[in-house]
Amino acid sequence: MSAIELPLGPRPVPPRQLDADSLVARRTRRKLPLSVVIPGTFLALVALAAIFAPLVAPDSPVAGSVAQRLLRIGAGGHLLGTDGQGRDILSRLIWGARPSLLEGIIPVAVAGAVGTALGMVAGLSSRRIHTLVMRSLDVIYSFPAVLLAIALAAALGAGVVNDIVALSIVLVPPIARVAETEVARLRSADFMEAARASGATWPSIAGRQVLPNIAPVLLVYCTALVGLAIVFAGGLSFLGLGIAPPHPEWGSMLNDLNQDLYTQPVLALIPAVMIFVTALAFNVLGDGLRDYLDIRSEAAS
Amino acid sequence: MGRFIGRRLLISIPTLIGVTIVVFITIKIIPGNPVAALAGINSTAATRAALTHRLGLDAPLPVQYFDWIWSTLRGNFGVSISQQTAVRPLVFSALGNTMILAFAGAVVAFVGGSLLGLWSGLRHRSRDGAVASGISALVVAAPQYTVALVLLVVLTVDNTVFPSGGMYKASGGGGFFVLLDHLVLPAVAVGLAPMGVIARIFRSSLIDVMNQDFVTSLRSRGLSRRTVLRHVIHNTLPSLFTVAGLQIGFLLGGALFVEILFTWPGLGQLIYQSISARDYPVIEACSLMLATAFVLLNVVIDAGHAMIDPRVRQ
Repeated sequence: MSAIELPLGPRPVPPRQLDADSLVARRTRRKLPLSVVIPGTFLALVALAAIFAPLVAPDSPVAGSVAQRLLRIGAGGHLLGTDGQGRDILSRLIWGARPSLLEGIIPVAVAGAVGTALGMVAGLSSRRIHTLVMRSLDVIYSFPAVLLAIALAAALGAGVVNDIVALSIVLVPPIARVAETEVARLRSADFMEAARASGATWPSIAGRQVLPNIAPVLLVYCTALVGLAIVFAGGLSFLGLGIAPPHPEWGSMLNDLNQDLYTQPVLALIPAVMIFVTALAFNVLGDGLRDYLDIRSEAAS
Repeated sequence: MGRFIGRRLLISIPTLIGVTIVVFITIKIIPGNPVAALAGINSTAATRAALTHRLGLDAPLPVQYFDWIWSTLRGNFGVSISQQTAVRPLVFSALGNTMILAFAGAVVAFVGGSLLGLWSGLRHRSRDGAVASGISALVVAAPQYTVALVLLVVLTVDNTVFPSGGMYKASGGGGFFVLLDHLVLPAVAVGLAPMGVIARIFRSSLIDVMNQDFVTSLRSRGLSRRTVLRHVIHNTLPSLFTVAGLQIGFLLGGALFVEILFTWPGLGQLIYQSISARDYPVIEACSLMLATAFVLLNVVIDAGHAMIDPRVRQ
């Protein structure tokens, strides 16, 4: 190889790289952008830590000794210090990832299924049903999601399952709206016309023509929504509507450590920053997936 | 214009009815029997039945719903379980304080978002424009409670630049400037994420409008850069108003969390205390107040939108 490369045409490829395998790979698979790889890796690590929490966590998440309370970061062998009851914060963070991640992912999955179904029903059926479905969703949608989630969770009572139910209800209308917008764009497409003309049934059109076409947009939108759901869930358990003590959850840790803000201010930042970084990772992942899948849709942005 | 506002108010009635139904249902599904609680453990079945009848709890649900709506419309929100006082004054004073905070947050969001959006939109091909849009992308994902905590730790606990909580001095004294001093940090915490959203929308619509033909034609007529920019900004205002409307919910919702961290005596703190005290009448009144405030604020925003963009009035 020469030191100076001429800007003329593609660089010659060394013969040993020219096997069939690599050619196929280069054609069909584009390189994943960093905006997918970095948040993806981070989230995979968090998820693995949550799954293998009993193996990864250095201490018990619920038992602590009062003598060891409010230790600084790194003191006494506690990497992230201890909370007001002397419990290891790192262990609580790891165990707390379980409910915190589930409260982000499950509501989006549930609302994703329901919302997509409603959006397809509204988009593919008669004008009357369309109006009925979309207007009733608008009533929920016009109420701010955070407030509705708080009201629902407060009424249902504290607990992870109730938080998930409340968040699922809150997330249905926005997803249904995106789905409906996407279906509306497809409605006049030639292949839809062809499917109808060939006598395809309603479910077959929905499953074979519509769903594959709207799935990428919804996937991108839902990925970013998981971040939002994690922030909401953190807020709910911060208000005291989350998991029952002494079990850890990022939002309730924030509430605990906030009580000792004036003795150990930095500790309260740990769960708060964890929620932020995780939510940010889902947002960036959503943006990265949009670029990677080359989706240009106003609905999903 | 008056007709537009009237029509817009009419449209928001179904939303409000929907909200009242949701709140009413939540009252009904709450575990625990108010009659048993009021009558005491030693009450007989007969006294309980009499009390049930007197409270109207044996009426059909729709009747109960209209009774409840009627008393709520007359301003009767019931009695707080934990404080044993009427709910109405509690909720109204808290609502006022939340509105002050949300309004200050809106100012931060709007002024900051416009400047950041202008900067990143006008210079979107250069590096500092990229920095500006990077800032807005980062800020959008920041939960308002995280921002509040960071501000608390950095600016009040370690070095007391700003007061760490409350609305006025602990002694109870203080005028407008004391309030302002207490308001700065919570307002930034509330407004930062909506600021990012506004900046992002403003940026993309600025870039959009600047690529339109009328801008080229204005430029070719030799108009100054400032005049052209004024026309461009006027054309981005409709989309800015739409986003601003969507941000009201976010501002109000975020204010609830920020209030708890900064001990701001608003609806958020009231809800927080009421949740731990299981004080349901207060929680219901708070949700209802927030919903009404939200719906009415949206009407105001839409009216502003209609003033700027005549197409909306049609």
